Amino acid sequence: MLGARRRRRALWWALLLAGPNLLLLVTFTYRPLLESLYLSTLQWNLGSPDARFVGLGNYAEWFTAPTTGRIVTTTLVFTVATVGGALVLGLALALLLDRKVAGRSVARTVAFAPYVLSGFAVGILWLFIFDPRYGLLQEVLGWVGVASPQWYSDRPWPLVMVIVVYLWKNLGYVALIYLAGLQAVPQDLRDAAALDGAGRVRTLRSIVLPLLTPTTFFLLVTMLLASMQTFDIIKAMTQGGPLGSTTTLMYAIYEESFVNGRAGYASAVATVLFITLLAVTAVQMRYVQRKVHYV
Amino acid sequence: MSHRPARTTVQPSRRALRSAVALGAVAALTLTACAGPSVGVGSSDDPSADATDVDWSQVEPASEITFWSNHPGQSREVEQAIIAEFEHETGISVDLVTAGANYDEVAQRFQAAAQTSELPDVVIASDVWWFRYFLNGQIMPLDGVLEHLDAQAEDFQPALYADYEYDDQHWAVPYARSTPLFYYNRDLWDAAGLPDRGPETWDELADWDEKLRAEVPQDGSTFGLSTGPSWGAWWFENMIWGQGGAYSDGFDLTLDTPESIAGGEFLGDLFGESGIATLSADDAMVDFSSGLIASTIGSTGSLTGALEAASFEVGTAYLPDGPAGGGTPTGGTGVAIPSSRSPEQQLAAAMFVQFLTDTERTATFSESTGYVPVRTSAVESETMQKIYESTPQFRTAVDQLAEKARPQDDARVFIPGADALLNEALEMIILEGQDPATAFETITPRIETAYSENVEPYL
Repeated sequence: MLGARRRRRALWWALLLAGPNLLLLVTFTYRPLLESLYLSTLQWNLGSPDARFVGLGNYAEWFTAPTTGRIVTTTLVFTVATVGGALVLGLALALLLDRKVAGRSVARTVAFAPYVLSGFAVGILWLFIFDPRYGLLQEVLGWVGVASPQWYSDRPWPLVMVIVVYLWKNLGYVALIYLAGLQAVPQDLRDAAALDGAGRVRTLRSIVLPLLTPTTFFLLVTMLLASMQTFDIIKAMTQGGPLGSTTTLMYAIYEESFVNGRAGYASAVATVLFITLLAVTAVQMRYVQRKVHYV
Repeated sequence: MSHRPARTTVQPSRRALRSAVALGAVAALTLTACAGPSVGVGSSDDPSADATDVDWSQVEPASEITFWSNHPGQSREVEQAIIAEFEHETGISVDLVTAGANYDEVAQRFQAAAQTSELPDVVIASDVWWFRYFLNGQIMPLDGVLEHLDAQAEDFQPALYADYEYDDQHWAVPYARSTPLFYYNRDLWDAAGLPDRGPETWDELADWDEKLRAEVPQDGSTFGLSTGPSWGAWWFENMIWGQGGAYSDGFDLTLDTPESIAGGEFLGDLFGESGIATLSADDAMVDFSSGLIASTIGSTGSLTGALEAASFEVGTAYLPDGPAGGGTPTGGTGVAIPSSRSPEQQLAAAMFVQFLTDTERTATFSESTGYVPVRTSAVESETMQKIYESTPQFRTAVDQLAEKARPQDDARVFIPGADALLNEALEMIILEGQDPATAFETITPRIETAYSENVEPYL
């Protein structure tokens, strides 16, 4: 009896304490989510007081539209390049920063700084650097006798450009998380490996990398989610162009909704993105995590 | 040998990860969610009904209104000065809000705010956006209230005021209006031994190409331009009209006529084989000001900036003609009044609109930005006459407007998203050297869908 009452009281306390947060979550996250699902069944001009119910018409259009293939491919290339690139380069940077050298903490701060900058500002700034006629980059390329590619106009360079900027901005974050992971690798394991005659490369491969798998897994999930939802850098640098060559799923949602005013169709594309993200993450949870080693 | 703690912070639990995932994924969906519409209606209610029924003489103007602007032509200070005068004269206070960096951003914000109470009383309504506001029933017709205020609408430059006419009513009044202008580097022109004027035809520019190319830097060219939404499909109207073509006749697309395709071929040749023009990476006006290209097309709104930035003498001229003539499209923005505000606020807003576009303010605004004076009386005003005397470049736009202006093709300005699609076709031709007929064919069904979904049901 007493146990049940205590449990009930505990439940009330839990609700009371979690309530405000739950309320915010429901109001600002789940309600818009459901509303968006509903909007995806409408043909609706953004701003118009009226709409027409079209059922799954918007989804049918998405799966048959001539531009869909291009948008999906662009999203895939962007995601694989940014997530893969960030993990590899971020780890390399973390290994560098993990050494005991003078000025290490300054270097760490410098490496992390781009992550806290606004994506829009970063995009605008890098546009100047990439400018094929006046930019810093064409100057640097000129020193080694390489002509600057037409970063703004010749495919695939615009996509390469936004990928590079995304990597630059997010590398510091990945490196910081890896750095923390590296410092959690027990020193005695490293020492034991050294006693057994393992060199640096061998230690990295057999000890450090396996022990970093939880970190890698965490980064893989969060980076994938963030990368697939990139908007600011693309908006600032290419507006999805030229010829749609940098239009990712996320940017297409914005464009359909706010430029073309097709809010219903955009909601359908958003739902497709939502389901894709959910599916990708579920697969990661189920299969990739099996390969994760905890210390 | 040092011992570090075996586990520190970064070993997230499976549950924490799951919550993070759920939240992140959900964020993707929330982007498009906002206030919803009512379902089942084919066309919107007639938005003009309310406004035309109002007996304005019985309405007391509100004491406070809001103006959403992007301050076209860096006009924030001028707008503020005009507002200060208005407040002083009428006692109605105006809250000037920067609602975006360009016309598109203001429009996106205005549309997203529909059906909320967060609406302005006066809003920027650009050439490619006002009709969408109209279709959505978001703005009111102004004829009645302007007549009540004795605002002398007949004094607006006819070509500019007519742009906002639909259903025999005007849905906005002209404010920061512009046309494209042909800008040329007079120093280079002089060095090449050319007369101090723009080319009368595109053929003439081709004839001058050899002489000019000898004067520009090695990677420069005689003429340069950039593309982009709200831009490429605007200046190209001159070229497609020059070949006798057009984007559309009313809402019927005419991109497949031999004349329109000839327009596309002309463009392809200009940037391709002939080598007369190069595509500017970002803003052609920057390449022009730096002396890299000898001439370009820019908006009248860029005139003040161009005169300041260039270290050489800047010349302005009409856009060149093609074999079938040509003409210039008008562009820029007007101001509109939302239909859902109270009559009191609408009246105060109309008073402000009247003040903002009266003869004196029009001249002030034009003087500081380079935009075309929207009132005939302002063109003849002493202020403008003085400017034309000291800086004759300002005059070109006004004369061109009177002599060569032509209403834009409906497809570009009235069909949502069509401008961006047309620009895409132009990029296919310029960047990829695609056959114009194919490029136009690719975008035609997409514009037709936009029309049948987003325009036709609402007319």
